[in-house]
Amino acid sequence: MNEIKLIIADDHELFRNGLAELLRKHDDIKIVKTVGDGLEFMELINSRFEADIVLLDITMPNMDGFQVLKELKNLSSDIKPIVISMHNDGNYIAKCAKMGAYGYLLKNTDESELILAIRTVSNGKKYFSAEISEKMINFMSTQSISEDVLSNKETEVLGLIAKGLTTKEIAAKLFVSSRTIETHRANILKKLEVKNTAELIKKAAKMNLI
Amino acid sequence: MNIKTLILIIINSLIALVIALLSFSSYKQFSNVLNDRILLQLNSIKTLKQNQIEHLLKSEWERFEASELYSENIDTSVLKIPDSILNRNGIYDFTAYHTTKKTTIGFISNSERGRMIKVFDYNKIKQILLERTGMGDSGESYLVGNDFRMRSQSRFYPNKTPYTISVKTKGVINAFKGINGRGVFEDYRGIEVYSVYSLIAVGNLKMVILSEIDVDEVTLPLKELKQRLLGITLGIFLLGVMLSLFLTRIITNPIKNMQKSLRIMAQGDYNQTNEFIKNSKEIKEMFDALANLKASLQGAVKFSDDIGKMNLHTDFKPKSSNDLLGKSLLAMRDKLIEFRNKEENTRILSKRMLVNGMEDERRRLSRELHDGVGPYLTSLKHYIENRVKNEEKKAEMKKIVDETISEIRLMSNALMPASIDDFGIGVTLTNFIERLKKSTTVTIEYEDLTLENSNITNHQAINLFRITQELINNSLKHADAKNIRITLSEFDEFVSLFYFDDGIGFDITTVKLGLGIINIKERVEICNGTITINATPGNTTFEIELPIEL
Repeated sequence: MNEIKLIIADDHELFRNGLAELLRKHDDIKIVKTVGDGLEFMELINSRFEADIVLLDITMPNMDGFQVLKELKNLSSDIKPIVISMHNDGNYIAKCAKMGAYGYLLKNTDESELILAIRTVSNGKKYFSAEISEKMINFMSTQSISEDVLSNKETEVLGLIAKGLTTKEIAAKLFVSSRTIETHRANILKKLEVKNTAELIKKAAKMNLI
Repeated sequence: MNIKTLILIIINSLIALVIALLSFSSYKQFSNVLNDRILLQLNSIKTLKQNQIEHLLKSEWERFEASELYSENIDTSVLKIPDSILNRNGIYDFTAYHTTKKTTIGFISNSERGRMIKVFDYNKIKQILLERTGMGDSGESYLVGNDFRMRSQSRFYPNKTPYTISVKTKGVINAFKGINGRGVFEDYRGIEVYSVYSLIAVGNLKMVILSEIDVDEVTLPLKELKQRLLGITLGIFLLGVMLSLFLTRIITNPIKNMQKSLRIMAQGDYNQTNEFIKNSKEIKEMFDALANLKASLQGAVKFSDDIGKMNLHTDFKPKSSNDLLGKSLLAMRDKLIEFRNKEENTRILSKRMLVNGMEDERRRLSRELHDGVGPYLTSLKHYIENRVKNEEKKAEMKKIVDETISEIRLMSNALMPASIDDFGIGVTLTNFIERLKKSTTVTIEYEDLTLENSNITNHQAINLFRITQELINNSLKHADAKNIRITLSEFDEFVSLFYFDDGIGFDITTVKLGLGIINIKERVEICNGTITINATPGNTTFEIELPIEL
């Protein structure tokens, strides 16, 4: 069984040492290097230092974890990053996953899970615990990025305009200010390149937006 | 000298002058006419009498010559006629030869047949002379001999023998010189008379006839006229004084009122509302002008009052390009606006700096907890993992550390979520509310409509986060709300935070400081934003709008 060559990138020496000591107990994992920030890590990578996995902190001086992920992606590096962070918010997890992280661990993760994650990733699989996945999915579900011409909210407003509701009624219904609805309406008109409501309804119907 | 006296003097002296001139000229005219009339009348009377006397004498003479009665029919005891006269024919004045100087006129005719002498009946002449029609009370016609002694009986001295009265007046002298005329002079009594005179020369008889009337009588109507004129003059003068008094009242009362108004205004009171009687167009215009001035000054006063109260949006238009007061007030207002804006800016700036300092401190603490204390705790956990052999103790210690880390995370997030710097306000609020949902039964719905490449500044983001925190805190603590709806919409020009809850609402005017509304308003202010609050029970909304400044 091959050794898993591991780099730890974290600005806290105490944490690095603690983590190293923890992992040292496992024979299949070998810590080949610990670095204090992203810049140091990238220098290491650029000097063709061989490693399988990097345990990467997000919040680091000089170059943070996000940038490191971006650089690694750009370099098409073989090193598989596992983010190990204090942040337990879905947006951080989602961003890391999107940027190519193979796993996301909280710093206070139990030893067993840490080991499991390292082993899973070293096998070429991604590791996101049930808890982490849930946070990530929860967050992503709130993000409504529409591929259509109109944003989801704009489509909603358009629908209500088509129903003949006044700006005030729409504002009350959607829990926004009247000016917000007016601005949405203006933006819809602009996006659909029409001048008034009548034209808007006609064009929206043609485009199957309502 | 006040205007009243001046007007009185001018008007009344004018009136007096006019009346005097008029009176004088009419009096003069009247007196001239009267003179002419009287003299004319006297003349005609005199001429008539002269003619009558001449005719009488001539006819008597003719009759005498024609008579054949040769007798010296005279009383020689009373009449002693010298021979020198007796030898010559003609009509004679024998008065001088009369012993008692009785007026006697006689005819003498000497012919071959003898001498005729006749004393003419003087009564006939007397009758003519006594005919006093048109002679008034003092009029008189009389005859004077060439010895300047009177021949006819004087009306005024009926008991005097005419011969004893000497009449050497201007008229008699003139008449004997052959000048017939008229005039006003003293008669034999030494009294001024109107007199006409002419010479009667019949035969050897030479006498002057005079018709005279006393000046005093003639000028009686003139005196009356004088009195009447004096009366009228006095009346007109009194009327003039009264009228001019009335006129001065008309003129000076408004001036006095104006003076009073101006004096009050000079004391700085522009609100007097005294109504004045405006009895003429000019005075009305003058008071209109005063009212205009007052209005203008009132406007300026009101404006400066407004400025004094720092109501700097009051508008004011100078009355004209020369309205220096208005202009300087405007300049003052503009300066004050400038000062206030500066002060406002400084105030907002210092508040912003204060808030920023506080937020920076929170951020520092948050980071310190999250990135400093956090890792130490994880190190502690590693230590436990590595060094604690007792599995039971190990598990318990790990649990405590994990809980501590969770607590640190919460504290850090409450202080300042790292997301706000790394991901912006949209996501930060998502996380914040997701976390909150787990600890409350109130339904909170949040819609993040910020743009993918958001233009909301970090400063705005922090303030929006704090405002939302405060609003949710209020809803949960005080409002007894069941639902909370939050929408954060970002546009090119502005970002709108809409907050709704169905709680009990509050009274905006009496809301306690504890609700943090002041705090929220301040944060909106330092972001140059606007806030609209509607707090009715069951429908409390906050509309907060911040400008996107690129």
